[in-house]
Amino acid sequence: MPGQLVKVLEPISSFGGNIQSVVHRRERKTPLGRVPVTIIFDVGERVRLNRILRAFRSMGVRIIRIGEREGAVRSTVLLVGHIVHTDIRDTIDRLNELGGVMVSDLSLAMGRVGQESAARMTIAADDERRTALALSKLEKISARKKLLVIKSVEGM
Amino acid sequence: MAIVGFGNLGRGLARVLIEKSEFLRRTQGLIPRVVAVVDEHGAAVDEDGLDLRRLLRVAERKGTVAAHPKGKRGKSALEIIEGTEADVVFELTPTNIKTGEPGLTHIKKAMQAEKHVITSNKGPLVVAFKELDSLARRCGVEFRYSASVGGGVPVIGLAKGLLAGNEIRAIRGVLNGTTNYILTRMSKENAPFDVVLHEAQELGIAEKDPTLDIEGIDTACKITILANSLLGVNARLRDVRVAGIRNVRPEAIRLAREAGYVIKLVGVAKRDLLEVGPKLVPLGHPLAVGGTLNAVTFELDLAREITITGFGAGPQETSSSLLGDLIDIHRVLGG
Ligand SMILES: NC(=O)c1ccc[n+]([C@@H]2O[C@H](COP(=O)([O-])OP(=O)(O)OC[C@H]3O[C@@H](n4cnc5c(N)ncnc54)[C@H](OP(=O)(O)O)[C@@H]3O)[C@@H](O)[C@H]2O)c1
Repeated sequence: MPGQLVKVLEPISSFGGNIQSVVHRRERKTPLGRVPVTIIFDVGERVRLNRILRAFRSMGVRIIRIGEREGAVRSTVLLVGHIVHTDIRDTIDRLNELGGVMVSDLSLAMGRVGQESAARMTIAADDERRTALALSKLEKISARKKLLVIKSVEGM
Repeated sequence: MAIVGFGNLGRGLARVLIEKSEFLRRTQGLIPRVVAVVDEHGAAVDEDGLDLRRLLRVAERKGTVAAHPKGKRGKSALEIIEGTEADVVFELTPTNIKTGEPGLTHIKKAMQAEKHVITSNKGPLVVAFKELDSLARRCGVEFRYSASVGGGVPVIGLAKGLLAGNEIRAIRGVLNGTTNYILTRMSKENAPFDVVLHEAQELGIAEKDPTLDIEGIDTACKITILANSLLGVNARLRDVRVAGIRNVRPEAIRLAREAGYVIKLVGVAKRDLLEVGPKLVPLGHPLAVGGTLNAVTFELDLAREITITGFGAGPQETSSSLLGDLIDIHRVLGG
């Protein structure tokens, strides 16, 4: 199997692409024995991308989905605590510092004066790995700022 | 059998044994005979079988089974466990998550006396799961604890029974009825935590000291038990990362709802992660159960996802698990 995978990856580098990650989804094997693979790679020009895709097809690789995407993976997270007091701007900036991660939406519900507030944040990341990075960074920041982080059960 | 601890569950079990005696005989060929019952004040013993109706009446009226004609004040659980001819001991005393006592000693002594053990008590399981599991094997006795997680919901039984062919990748669960009630009410009434907690205490849904529930520790105990019994890891309570629901504000619940989520206290057990905390659960997700309900989702290699839901506490509901364990032992032993 690994040998086969290496062969599939060949066109990417031979056409000047740069592989970032390969996720082999063995657990999602189809009834016909095909194994879905998610490959993320950078490639400079559109034509090169097309060549790579053509090469894949001629090798019998079925392309299920192509995403040329930024911020495609969205996750919702809540924060509870002294959110404004502990500088929400700084919290957001530090998440945005991560490459391929952006806080794309923020709703704030202020508590009464001196009381805690709640915020809902949407984090858009280019892929799941970056989402995980962003969430773990948010947890570290929140631990220091004594904020409660409420993540979605689906990513756990 | 001997019943150690005759509070809510002990009495609930006794009631069910009375109501179901004909049913158990007919469907299972099982004729349970309770030869001893013990509480903190004393015990009632009759090798020919105690009259459970009378025992319940006495216990309700006098506050202890020792007031029964066959009763004796000051007779301890250990004397009962070691000195009676019971085949099965039900250990139903209060949970102590620090020492596991008195349940831990009761269970060990019962096993050493070659008696099968059925318990609902999380304390001994959290403190000494591996030790008890291997002691049971060494002593050649059956050890069952279905009622300790999920009350009436057969979480452990389902996983160990019909799902046994699967590898369990993750277990996620709403495992505490009290906190689920509080979060559900906060969401419906837009009311603050303290107000709803007070209401739950008046309804008897939350205890006078609700710390273990609302701090997430009760859920963490259940996650510890599930990790040990179903994932085969040697986990301790302190390995579970825990956050409770005290800081969940109505504003947070509203923000969650606007985005299509409810907030639930969720416990997660994976081989490399044990965690309890408030989580966003999408509306319509199988874990988005309301009121005092419990729900557990297994993530499995073959069946993918299975969720079961039901009542996580209450004497009648939980006696379903206690009785299930008894019948299971009866079958294993070829009765
Ligand atoms: N209630 C539920 O729905 C539920 C569900 C799942 C699991 N559980 C667990 O099941 C266990 C029992 O629950 P419960 O609601 O029945 O508790 P409970 O009403 O407090 O009853 C505990 C019983 O244990 C007796 N006891 C205490 N120390 C004893 C000792 N050293 N020796 C003998 N008896 C002793 C008490 O006697 P006295 O009355 O004389 O003090 C009482 O009869 C607990 O561990 C609980 O966490 C309960």
